[in-house]
Amino acid sequence: MARALRSMLWRAVAYAVVLELMLIPAILYFPEFEKHTRQLRAMAPLPVLRDIVDTLEEGGVFAYVTGQHFFKGCNTLGTAAAVLLAAGAVAGEVHRGTFEIWLARPVSRVRLLTERWIQGALAVTLPVVATTLSIPWLLTKVGYALPYSPLLLSAVQQCAMLLAIYSTTFFLSTLARAPMGIAFAMLVFTIFQFAVYLVERMTHWSLFRLTDVERFLDIQRTGGFDWRALGPLVFVTLAMYVASLVSFARRTP
Amino acid sequence: MSEAGTGRISTRGLTRRFGAKLALAPTDLELEPGCVTGLLGPNGSGKSTLMRMLIGLVPPSGGSASVDGVALSGDGTAIRERCTYAPGEIALYGELDGAEHLDWFLRGRTPAARRRAREIATSFELPLDKRVHTYSHGMKRQLMFSAAMAPDVRVRILDEPSEGLDPNKRSTMIQRIQDDVARGTTILLSSHHLGEVDRVCDTFVFLSAGRTVAIERAADIARRATRLVRLEFANANALAEPLPTLAHAQLTLRGATLLAELRCDDPRAFLAEWAARRDLPAPRSIEYGKTSLGDLYRSLYGVEEAC
Repeated sequence: MARALRSMLWRAVAYAVVLELMLIPAILYFPEFEKHTRQLRAMAPLPVLRDIVDTLEEGGVFAYVTGQHFFKGCNTLGTAAAVLLAAGAVAGEVHRGTFEIWLARPVSRVRLLTERWIQGALAVTLPVVATTLSIPWLLTKVGYALPYSPLLLSAVQQCAMLLAIYSTTFFLSTLARAPMGIAFAMLVFTIFQFAVYLVERMTHWSLFRLTDVERFLDIQRTGGFDWRALGPLVFVTLAMYVASLVSFARRTP
Repeated sequence: MSEAGTGRISTRGLTRRFGAKLALAPTDLELEPGCVTGLLGPNGSGKSTLMRMLIGLVPPSGGSASVDGVALSGDGTAIRERCTYAPGEIALYGELDGAEHLDWFLRGRTPAARRRAREIATSFELPLDKRVHTYSHGMKRQLMFSAAMAPDVRVRILDEPSEGLDPNKRSTMIQRIQDDVARGTTILLSSHHLGEVDRVCDTFVFLSAGRTVAIERAADIARRATRLVRLEFANANALAEPLPTLAHAQLTLRGATLLAELRCDDPRAFLAEWAARRDLPAPRSIEYGKTSLGDLYRSLYGVEEAC
């Protein structure tokens, strides 16, 4: 367990550092953004992007920050991290030939898989929460203030999205023999979903509607979650975890 | 089935299919506690599948098994707590050093087992402070063997533990196994080295294409050997079919070797009869009373495995 934990810890730290490095300049740029919103809107090549700029203008600093950190940073980098961390969970052991020794110890399969799932889930979500906690402090550097509560609720919504992607990839990993194929397939799928988001007539079919700026503004307005958006993500996460247990129980070296 | 803690291994109709392929035909085994049982057979005969099934890594398609009195159920965790297993496939976590890897292997075991594993590994002169990716094939094998021999359990299942080792290390390994068995441990061992299993095993289970083709006790083979004389000739043409009919032995020709199955325990009558027959060629060497595991293997599989 220590080996896997150590490996996950390093990846989580690297992922958190990159997220923070993306967040810092984005927040420091906010005063400039606010000044030049109209010019940016005029430059936007797609109607959907113009809508995003409009939403950011109307939503103010909260919309801008959640757009930068969650919609842009976590939906791209976080999704990649979730896919890459989950793809090797079981398929990685099979691929490197260590699957048999991993199972041969007196530890139940349910425990082995659950430990691995939790380690990865923490590595995917904790950096999101940790970097979110730095936002109010960073905003003070440019003369703005935001409370923690709506940001943390938004972070939970974002984590639910990442966990759904992570768990789906994790399930595929319990079926496959090589992690690269799964990672490639899932990354193509998520990039496709992002592309769909940018197409005006199809945008409502994109999964990333569940973690876009409008969704976070709803959370800020209501002070709570919309379970029509959070519920399916939680359900997919749990269903994929249970499916992983069933699949893993049948897996042979 | 058996009583817990006896070290007995039993299977009843244990079967495994992978799709349409029969990996292990219904197998009944009763391995005595405190003995070494050699699992023999060519590649793909089902040795590793049987071993994996016994510890729950491969669920059976039918039948039942018990190890150290514990019935195989679920994912076999209860059995793995009562026995150790050294897999035949060598793939380790190269980023760990030897000591860390031993600790990793021995998760769920006692601190005493970890200490013992380090002692065993040190006796093999393994550099435990070095990362495993710097280890040779044989060193990795010894590391796995050290982990498998360390816990205080009644049953050990070792899949080709000496594969890739030099003769000295192999000899040390066999000595460790013999010492362990002397303390009452049951060992199920698979190997392609007939000389090695011949030296250490009390019973031999021969598998072919997933079926048990023979179960032989070493004592029975040794007893049969007292009725076997082997005559080696300079070349394969020294004798030709049909073989002569002799009063004191039944003859079988294998290349340049003539096997004479005696009709009594005393070889002198046969040797006298052979010497008296001037039409028969003089052998280059005569061997009598040797264990004939190799012959048995040849008769079962048609070819002799390495060593």
